[in-house]
Amino acid sequence: MILNKVEAQDLHLWYGDFYALKGINFSIKKNTVAALIGPSGCGKSTFLRVFNRMNDLIDNVSIKGQALIDGKNIYGKELRVDELRKRVGMVFQKPNPFPKSIFENVAFGLRVNGIKHKTYIEERVEKSLQQAALWNEVKDKLNKSAFELSGGQQQRLCIARALAIEPQILLMDEPASALDPISTAKIEDLIYELKQEYTILIVTHNMQQASRVSDTTAFFYLGELIEHDNTKKIFTAPDKMQTQNYVTGRFG
Amino acid sequence: MTHLDSELKQLKESINELFLMVISQLAKSKEALVNLDQDLAREVRANERRVNSYELKIDRDCENIIALFNPVAIDLRFVLASLKINSNLERIGDIAEGIANYVLYLKYEPDHDLLEVSQLVTMFDTSIRILDNVMRAYSQEDTNLARNVFKQDELLDQININATHVIAEYIKNNPDKIHQSLFTISTVRKLERVGDQCKNIAEEIIFYIEAKVLKHKHGK
Amino acid sequence: MDFQTRKNMKEKMAFGALRLFSFSIIAILFFILGYIVINGISVVSFDFLTKMPEDGMTKGGILPAIIGTLCLMVVSLAIAFPIGVFSGIYLNEYIKDGWFKRFINLMTNNLSGIPSIVFGLFGMQFFVNQLGWGDSIIAGSFTLAILVLPVIIRTTEESLKAVSNTFREAASGLGASKWQTTYSVVLPIGMPNILTGLILSMSRVSGETAPILFTVAAYFLPQLPHSIFDQVMALPYHLYVVATSGNNITESRPIAFGTALVLIFIVLVLNLLANWLRKVLGSKVKMN
Repeated sequence: MILNKVEAQDLHLWYGDFYALKGINFSIKKNTVAALIGPSGCGKSTFLRVFNRMNDLIDNVSIKGQALIDGKNIYGKELRVDELRKRVGMVFQKPNPFPKSIFENVAFGLRVNGIKHKTYIEERVEKSLQQAALWNEVKDKLNKSAFELSGGQQQRLCIARALAIEPQILLMDEPASALDPISTAKIEDLIYELKQEYTILIVTHNMQQASRVSDTTAFFYLGELIEHDNTKKIFTAPDKMQTQNYVTGRFG
Repeated sequence: MTHLDSELKQLKESINELFLMVISQLAKSKEALVNLDQDLAREVRANERRVNSYELKIDRDCENIIALFNPVAIDLRFVLASLKINSNLERIGDIAEGIANYVLYLKYEPDHDLLEVSQLVTMFDTSIRILDNVMRAYSQEDTNLARNVFKQDELLDQININATHVIAEYIKNNPDKIHQSLFTISTVRKLERVGDQCKNIAEEIIFYIEAKVLKHKHGK
Repeated sequence: MDFQTRKNMKEKMAFGALRLFSFSIIAILFFILGYIVINGISVVSFDFLTKMPEDGMTKGGILPAIIGTLCLMVVSLAIAFPIGVFSGIYLNEYIKDGWFKRFINLMTNNLSGIPSIVFGLFGMQFFVNQLGWGDSIIAGSFTLAILVLPVIIRTTEESLKAVSNTFREAASGLGASKWQTTYSVVLPIGMPNILTGLILSMSRVSGETAPILFTVAAYFLPQLPHSIFDQVMALPYHLYVVATSGNNITESRPIAFGTALVLIFIVLVLNLLANWLRKVLGSKVKMN
């Protein structure tokens, strides 16, 4: 039996009084891409952020149930948050490089985790930039400010930054929504490549993007996971009426 | 109604239109054969061009909907089913034209005996009824109606199987009517094909509504 | 008159009125500036800027007042800036929203609402007498520091608030601690605005009279300070003195205007510097 890489068991989450996730059961295998779709405010981003405990940064969050990575509860006492975050990289909606050089952006995750070995850092930076398909474009200007890159390049830099600490899981929160079509296509190709080595959860509002990049698709609505199945099934013959209404654009 | 909805509605109306055209073609080819009406046969041949161009138009419509609207789930299944039904209907149109062509080549008086023993009229009526049935199944999205088709088609199959024997017998008794008999057996085969096309259409309807693939399955 | 014509006319009237009011603001400003320049420019010379006052402040320069004001600016901000910035960081980055944060914010607001003469009184009693520092730069600077603290805290807090949360999430998502995140990501992004706030509070310090009245400012002291425990003259107070209580008010009137001109010039330079800093630093860390 193959263990589920990422899993949620009867997961509930509240922001103060607001009941944001209502008993989610979800699992995906290693080296697959899961797309999380649903209308704004349906809980998909919240759900994504459960897996690197990013919701911890927000006040008044309470969680019930289990979120597991490799079968271990990530909200358990024995797990340290920064250890967890080394295993789970995250990419955001808008490209958000740090006010540093291209090199230092990628090296940031290594430095904050106490790695000082110069050649190792250089190796990791180069490898990560290559994985993010950015190396050839930036190898001659690694010391330039990251803000000099185009939006699409910045987003790939942010992906490289996440990859530098060698995570096993990548969380992507609408990673291409602020990019032009060509940059978007590059990111999507990249996701397809990265699947070989990582398990990826991606939140997207773009239905075609979900259908193009993912193996499985999960439809969230009002804090509930309505349906999670193979992407092919969701986009040809979903089981639930709500899912069908959403993917065909007939939603309320 | 969304923009896509109105495009899909239009597609459905076009397919219904094509259904009506094809049914009328089949009915006219029947009349032409039974009454050896050469004028009516010529009309069927002329109409076939309209059927063909209508089929091309629907093809293009489907292509546009897929390219411009990226339909998914039930919408995608509907467009795909319509695309296939479209070509099934076009084939039935071809069959009607083929029968009309026979009438134009066939210079004999109609032989009532031959029509009687070959049950050709029954076949015509049955295939037209089946076609009408799938048309209603399509426009009313009624899978029960669509499933009826498989039952009704059995009659056509039966007549088709019997036909070889019956026509052979007839030729033995009427050696001067070999030509006519051979045309008759070909017509029987053609009408049997109409039944098959209708079954394909019924399968597409069930696929689009229930997302179930019935094709190449036995014991449906 | 048809609708279109009336619409156009109304548009022109509204536009004209708005322009008139805006221009009147500029006009008033230029009138004041011009008035001061015309009255004061005649006395401003190299000597005026570099000499001691003479003849009961009716002649000579204002060097000790300029130096005094600069000393007060530097020392008071050396005190207020670290405290203010760290408090701002603490308020925005570390504590959660709740009664404690609201309480601190309320207190900060109250602090900035207190009339500056009250700070002067407090400074005199506490720093000058209680702590025994006497009238000195250090006592005046502490008083001024308390005065501008709320401004610095507020600007720091606002600057950090303006830093998009995704930067914090990205940094902590890579395993950075709160301090690593704040120090190496959030603070550099917010820095241009913080520095702007700092410079604006410098110009505030340079202009305040009441807080230094009882704590540091000398009526007449024709020498430069040697340590932070010395008294100094300061531009705004000097202005007050030569304008109201000098030996010969009429004769020293040009000197008053000259002093005002220098003060305005310093404030103007600081404001320009603030703008320039915001532009230069801002372009380096622009958020797109």
